[in-house]
Amino acid sequence: MTQMVRKANAFEILNHWVIAISFFVLTISGFGFLFHLEQLNSVFGSFNNTKVIHNWAGVVFSVSLFFTLFYYLPEALRLSSDDIGWILKAGGYFSKKAVVSPQDKLNTGQKFYYLFVLVLGIAIAASGFIIWLMPGVRKWVLLSHLVHNISFDLMIIAFPIHIYLGTLANPGTFRIMVYGTVPLEWAKKRHAKWVQKMGL
Amino acid sequence: MKRKALLISPELCIGCRGCQTACKSWNQLPGAKTTNRGTYENPPDLTPDLYNRIRYVEMPSETNLVRWLFVRQMCMHCDDAGCIKICPAPGALFKTKEGAVAFNKDKCIGCKLCVAGCPFDVPRYDEKDKISKCHLCSDRIAEGLAPACAKTCPTGAIAYGDRDDLIGKAQKAGYQKVYGQTDLGGLGAIYAFKDTPKIYGMDERPAIPESVVFWHRVLKPLAYIGLGGAVAASLIHYAAFGPKREEGGEEK
Repeated sequence: MTQMVRKANAFEILNHWVIAISFFVLTISGFGFLFHLEQLNSVFGSFNNTKVIHNWAGVVFSVSLFFTLFYYLPEALRLSSDDIGWILKAGGYFSKKAVVSPQDKLNTGQKFYYLFVLVLGIAIAASGFIIWLMPGVRKWVLLSHLVHNISFDLMIIAFPIHIYLGTLANPGTFRIMVYGTVPLEWAKKRHAKWVQKMGL
Repeated sequence: MKRKALLISPELCIGCRGCQTACKSWNQLPGAKTTNRGTYENPPDLTPDLYNRIRYVEMPSETNLVRWLFVRQMCMHCDDAGCIKICPAPGALFKTKEGAVAFNKDKCIGCKLCVAGCPFDVPRYDEKDKISKCHLCSDRIAEGLAPACAKTCPTGAIAYGDRDDLIGKAQKAGYQKVYGQTDLGGLGAIYAFKDTPKIYGMDERPAIPESVVFWHRVLKPLAYIGLGGAVAASLIHYAAFGPKREEGGEEK
């Protein structure tokens, strides 16, 4: 039997599903607002409901984003020269032969993706709360409307790539979001420094 | 159908506020108790129950120390309306075939983004958090009647008709530049000002906030172009490079 190592605990797995589903709901309803997709009324009932769901999904997203701080942020900030090596090789995604430098629990791409999500997540959540809770305050609402939409545009570009890298591009990684474990041999190749630190 | 408009002529206005009353009467809006602020101008601002009002501007000139300007404040029924542009709820704010910016309270979701999108500070919200503003008596004009304010105005300071005719009439009367002739695609409430608009407390160059225009022109299309582009890029990468597997790893 293949020896497995735990990469994510039950809380991390649950929280990732929570933030993923809330983001999905926010995106669908957000697109509804942007492009007046009245077809969504068959899902949400009315645009009034869509607004309520969008707002509260935003609360769920924000709380979930807050919890990620405890387990992703310390890892994401653990930057070293190996991360430069990873960037120079583009993570080995554009060559079959490239050998990338040894990686921590999160590889360089994952570190930067997390920091990207964190910064944009804070921006989109803060601006969303201003639009929601300070309606009619023209100056703040206009600024927040701009920030909310710029962050959304950037997130909607990064999001499909994140899903692609977590599924099709790297077979065997999606199981982390389900079981939280990966084969030790695989971990040694992908996250050598992490395995070493665990003393395995 | 030819675009309709209101031509406001402050020079003809006597400040009787019949338009305020007629508007309330037709739209069944309750009156409000206000306090004396030492001016005939009343109420002090537009409210959900007050779609239009006359501002009393005291602006003495060199030749006339007692100079009162009566300026009408109301929805300007922009052709390129910032409120409609920014509104996220389909059908909440819409254009009638006469060119009025009308609203449907049932469709309004109470987000108040239109307040931010309006260059004239017009939209107000009722106690149920639904939009409330002048709709150019869209129910009357659809039947070929003049809006209540124009119907009641005793001096002709509020004239309703085909927009082109009204502009022609104002020009013939000696007003070369009609306020709102070209701003925001042309306003549906145009003003025959004798002086600069600033004297009347009006914005010289009203415009939709630049951030809203940028959002509409760039950020909105980028949302679906970005999503589609990222999905396409992922698929192209998959076709070109395939999945990244580790030999002897999890693959059986």
